[in-house]
Amino acid sequence: MSTTSTDQAAEPTYDVRLVVNGTPHEVRLPARRLLSDALRHDLGLTGTHVGCEHGVCGACTVLLDGAPARSCLVLAVSADGAEVTTVEGLTEDDGTPQGRLGPVQQAFVDCHGLQCGFCTPGFLTTITAGLRDNPDPTHDEAREMVAGNLCRCTGYQNIVKAVERAADLAGRGRPDGDDARPADGGAA
Amino acid sequence: MSYVGSRVRPIDWEARTRGETRFAADLTSPQHLYAAVLRSPHPYAEIVALDVSRAERLPGVRAVITTADFPEGITYLHRGAPLSDRPPLAAGVVRHVGQEVAAVAADTPEEARAALRAIRVRYRVRPAPLTPRDALADGARRLHQRVTDEANVAFRLDATWGDVETGGRAGTTVVEGDYVYPSVSHVCMEPNTTLAAWDEASGTVELWTSTQAPWFIAKEVSHLLGIPHDAVICREVAVGGGFGSKSKASEHEVLAAALSRKAGLPVLLELSREEEFGSNKPRHRFETHLRTSADEHGTLRLFDADVLVDNGSYSHMGTSVMRVGMITLGSMYRPDGARFTSRLVDTATQPGGQFRGYGTPQVSLAVESQVDELALRLGLDPLEMRLRNLGPENETTLCGYDVTTSRLGDCLVAVREGLDWDARKTAVATGAAGGSSSRGLGVAAGMHGSGAYAYEFANRSDAAIDLFADGHVRVRHGSADAGTGQNTILAQIAADELGVDLADVEVLSMDSERTPFELGAWSSRGTHMTGSSVGQAARELGDQLRALAEDKLGGGPVTLRDGRAVAPTGEVDLGDLVGLSDAAEGDVLSHETSYVLEGTEMISTGKDRFNLSPTYAYAAHGALVDVDRRTGKVTVLDYVAAHDVGRAINPTAVEGQIAGGAAMGLGAALGEELVREGGRVVNPTYLHYAMPRSADLPSIRPVIVNAEDPAGPYGAKSVGEMSIVPPGAAVANAVRDAVGVRITELPITPDKVVTALAEQEGRRRHHGLWRRPGRWWVALLRALYPYGLHHVLHHWGTRLGRGVGPAGHRPPAPPEVLRPGNLDAVVAAVADGAQPIGGGTDALVERERQSRPAPVLVSTIGVPAMRRIRSEDGALLVGAAVSLAELEEALPPELAFVADAVRSIASPQIRNSATVGGNLAQEKRCWFFRNGFSCYKRNGVTSPCYAVTGDHRFQHAVIDGHRCQAVTPSDLGTVLQALDAEVVLQRGQTTRRLPLADLYDGPGELALADGEIVQHVVVPVPTSGRRGSFRKLALYQGDFATASATVTASVDDDGTWHDVRLVLGAMAPTPWRATATERALEGTTPTVAGVRRLLDRELDRHAHPLPGNGWKLDAVAGLVEHAVEDLLAQ
Repeated sequence: MSTTSTDQAAEPTYDVRLVVNGTPHEVRLPARRLLSDALRHDLGLTGTHVGCEHGVCGACTVLLDGAPARSCLVLAVSADGAEVTTVEGLTEDDGTPQGRLGPVQQAFVDCHGLQCGFCTPGFLTTITAGLRDNPDPTHDEAREMVAGNLCRCTGYQNIVKAVERAADLAGRGRPDGDDARPADGGAA
Repeated sequence: MSYVGSRVRPIDWEARTRGETRFAADLTSPQHLYAAVLRSPHPYAEIVALDVSRAERLPGVRAVITTADFPEGITYLHRGAPLSDRPPLAAGVVRHVGQEVAAVAADTPEEARAALRAIRVRYRVRPAPLTPRDALADGARRLHQRVTDEANVAFRLDATWGDVETGGRAGTTVVEGDYVYPSVSHVCMEPNTTLAAWDEASGTVELWTSTQAPWFIAKEVSHLLGIPHDAVICREVAVGGGFGSKSKASEHEVLAAALSRKAGLPVLLELSREEEFGSNKPRHRFETHLRTSADEHGTLRLFDADVLVDNGSYSHMGTSVMRVGMITLGSMYRPDGARFTSRLVDTATQPGGQFRGYGTPQVSLAVESQVDELALRLGLDPLEMRLRNLGPENETTLCGYDVTTSRLGDCLVAVREGLDWDARKTAVATGAAGGSSSRGLGVAAGMHGSGAYAYEFANRSDAAIDLFADGHVRVRHGSADAGTGQNTILAQIAADELGVDLADVEVLSMDSERTPFELGAWSSRGTHMTGSSVGQAARELGDQLRALAEDKLGGGPVTLRDGRAVAPTGEVDLGDLVGLSDAAEGDVLSHETSYVLEGTEMISTGKDRFNLSPTYAYAAHGALVDVDRRTGKVTVLDYVAAHDVGRAINPTAVEGQIAGGAAMGLGAALGEELVREGGRVVNPTYLHYAMPRSADLPSIRPVIVNAEDPAGPYGAKSVGEMSIVPPGAAVANAVRDAVGVRITELPITPDKVVTALAEQEGRRRHHGLWRRPGRWWVALLRALYPYGLHHVLHHWGTRLGRGVGPAGHRPPAPPEVLRPGNLDAVVAAVADGAQPIGGGTDALVERERQSRPAPVLVSTIGVPAMRRIRSEDGALLVGAAVSLAELEEALPPELAFVADAVRSIASPQIRNSATVGGNLAQEKRCWFFRNGFSCYKRNGVTSPCYAVTGDHRFQHAVIDGHRCQAVTPSDLGTVLQALDAEVVLQRGQTTRRLPLADLYDGPGELALADGEIVQHVVVPVPTSGRRGSFRKLALYQGDFATASATVTASVDDDGTWHDVRLVLGAMAPTPWRATATERALEGTTPTVAGVRRLLDRELDRHAHPLPGNGWKLDAVAGLVEHAVEDLLAQ
């Protein structure tokens, strides 16, 4: 990170290097810029949502060097050099430009884990990291895993099921098929 | 195959799961300015002067609007005159804290916010009523000129339905009481947002706005801007939850549009979470006085009610919310009669708005509580009592509803079976739960329409279907799917009617130019109205296609299936029929239709009975709760929500609506409430608003009973609002069943339960203040607060303070952030005035409230010496920059109770970043201090402590409170004191060691010298035989402690205790040790009851509670009982 000289009136900016979803970026940012804003506005990755700007709702959760963090509470300059994973980086390479859904994304689909979808990106990143640390959570551990993310539509019922489903999917490799019906009937 | 009735996935699941869905704030095109809104800080004031000239001259500012930018005297239409009373920006008077006064559009958000500070407003503050009771009192200021003959009564509804004389005579058992359903917030995860783009050439404005009903947005915006309705063009955009709030204008839409018109550029207005909580329109608070009678057979005979509805400062949907609420008395059961008086009362608080359930949850709380009380008095099972009172099918109810089908009985039976009701009731009755916790079962029923004929044309829905030459189909409708699944069920319907694959159906919604007339998704009308219109459009298009195919194939009958028209003589791809139609334009054949609902009646004045809806949905919810008698904590263990939705078009989506609505209702039942002080919301953040987290909710088990209603499209009725109606009473009834106390005001928080239990058991505390001269000064101040002291400090004293938040007309300078790699550099920076910062989870948020935040922050994260945990001399040395997650992992089994404390803090993500030092040093926890009040600690000594007269039930000190009533929030600060932990402080090259107990010299305030930092914490690891337990009472998973207790002791083989530590958190400005109890326990073999007796005596001697937080003494004593039990069991 280096300070860029600017004219007197303007705010000083810094060159910040971020590796986002595997792609290196170098952006020039003012010190005040939050990581969430840098991702959304400077890099155009609007899948990361901002719901409270206080670090409580969890919609802005990204993985910072693998660990879930609130991107609305992180100054982008302090993430200089970090690896960032956003919801857009959760798909897996299958040779197509879009990529294949990761197991957590697939589990959300299978279990009807979202309604309005605003909070979903934060849940997906949180659970991705959570299952890496605890690949086989109990039901209570699954509930605790998402205790720091708020959702108003679902009552969390199917999100917790999706945690368990994602653990199953990751455990046995790839999800099967892409049929239009949830594997477990999607029942809550 | 049939998609209708199937569990298909939402059609937009893939984009939403990949993060590709665009909400309004995600749009990168068109490029836009950023808006911010200046809001009133006063509940009521005349605006003497308003000068925006300085703001207009600031760099980056492109437009500033005030009331002068709108036609004089114009107001939102809403439900029409005479209650159309709200101007788009305050016109000479502000009537609630948060009312919009002016708005700014600038190049950056920071510049927009800075410009707000440059707008000069001179207010003449006037007293005004903040509650309905005050508003009705003699001499209260009239907020508006109303047409009723009572001051501040915006609307009054009196009705007598049925035969009240007979009912009154026959109802021999009577219960009567007052019930309160508070003001709660929708808490849509997406903040309300509008992107507006004015086009000067055409005089039109495009809006990408978070709404459930674009037509109503266009109606209000066009009216307020003085342009034609169709000059406001809404575009399709994702909507992040609505729950009613977005079904009518929410003020941001017209402000963004007016700013765009004035600036000549697109403008984005995105509300902050504080604005969402503090300024938007929450659920109307109802105060319901109800008298219900039944005869000796348990038949309900009469409802008699007197209801006050808090309208807030302006009329939005208050009249119809009140009307629908009152309908509860005459809709679901079949008493002889019902009679009520209800008043919609103006108060100088944020106005109420539309909210899922629309008045029904509020009145239902009273009705369903009293049905239970009657059952109790009559010796009937409450579920059986409801079964005896079911309203009949195919009949007209007292309120004028023409009921078609009802499966409420089946819903009640489903609850009985799902909860194993009869067996559990027997178990509860015989006290099977045991111990300090009691279990109880509760049930409540409810009913809701499927749409309401509340406006002209609300009985009409238009829809269009396009068939493209490539065979794919597009549904076009003007409603909006805010996450309900509406688009998906419409696609299912179209796919079935046209015989195409669901994957070949797309849906276009919301777009004012490209979708036909539709009033939107509100009053649970989406399924019936758009389900009917889309079905009709698809059927009619299907008829055209069958005719075209018959011509082409030379005979019929033709059926549509698998994307083809199939006749006995051959078949043809549907797409190939497009070119054969004279009506086709290019490669698309479109058909538009209008569905008009017959048989419902529009709400009108002069009548009080209407058949508002084509069908009525029913539900019964059952809850199994656990009540901790010691702490008042209510936990829902199991929850069954059985619904009659007719036929479920998509059972998975229906179950999602049931579970989501029930969860929202449980939030209101157990924790949620907008708390106000002086008209201002004190808990406008997620941190202070107890919305349920995942771990707070039970498994909610939705049941869809087998049903089908011929009056509904494909047999379907509504579901969206129904699910939020029963939870309040279901939980209240279960609590009554568990511990024998009836809580009549939601939310059922621990304070209410503990207070009611103390009354039940005849417990009272005496603090003997007359014997404690040290408390007399504080007692005198507190006594003077309501008698003018608060008023003087609030109105005059606060003007002398340093202010809250950034000052000046420029964006505040961002902090310089130093990230040194060694301790010496940190110490040197702190010596130069830098503020040390760990994870920043508290400090960065707190900065926003500081008038002069530290210009330089020094991060401790990169300092290896501060991030280490090592063992030395039987102690753990924990660096101040160790994260809470790292600490938890490093704790040995002997310190399991410390790990319990760590796990109770915030959330896993916060614990990954938050540090031990940051936790110890975090700011005081007080919702006045933290949420922008100019309080004594924030603003200076001439300012009041708002907790003295404000809501202090949960967060404030019970012991040793002085001018400030806040407490130290750190759980580590409490639990580690019970281990005699020490902190090592460093200043320059000098270190000193301090008992942790001496680290605090005030609430969240550290006794550090200038330039001194917390370097590490020394945590002695107990030797064998030492035991410990940490217990905490919090309002939601991860909340700060309302009370906490840590007990440690060395326990001999014979059970004798030595070196007891008993540390209480959140009770006093700093963690508080019950030293007398500790001493008394030395060398004894304690019992739970014995410790409680000792502690109660000590607490009584030392406590000086505020009027509303004495219950915390009982709760913390209860936590100590739990902790002692833990020790005895270890």
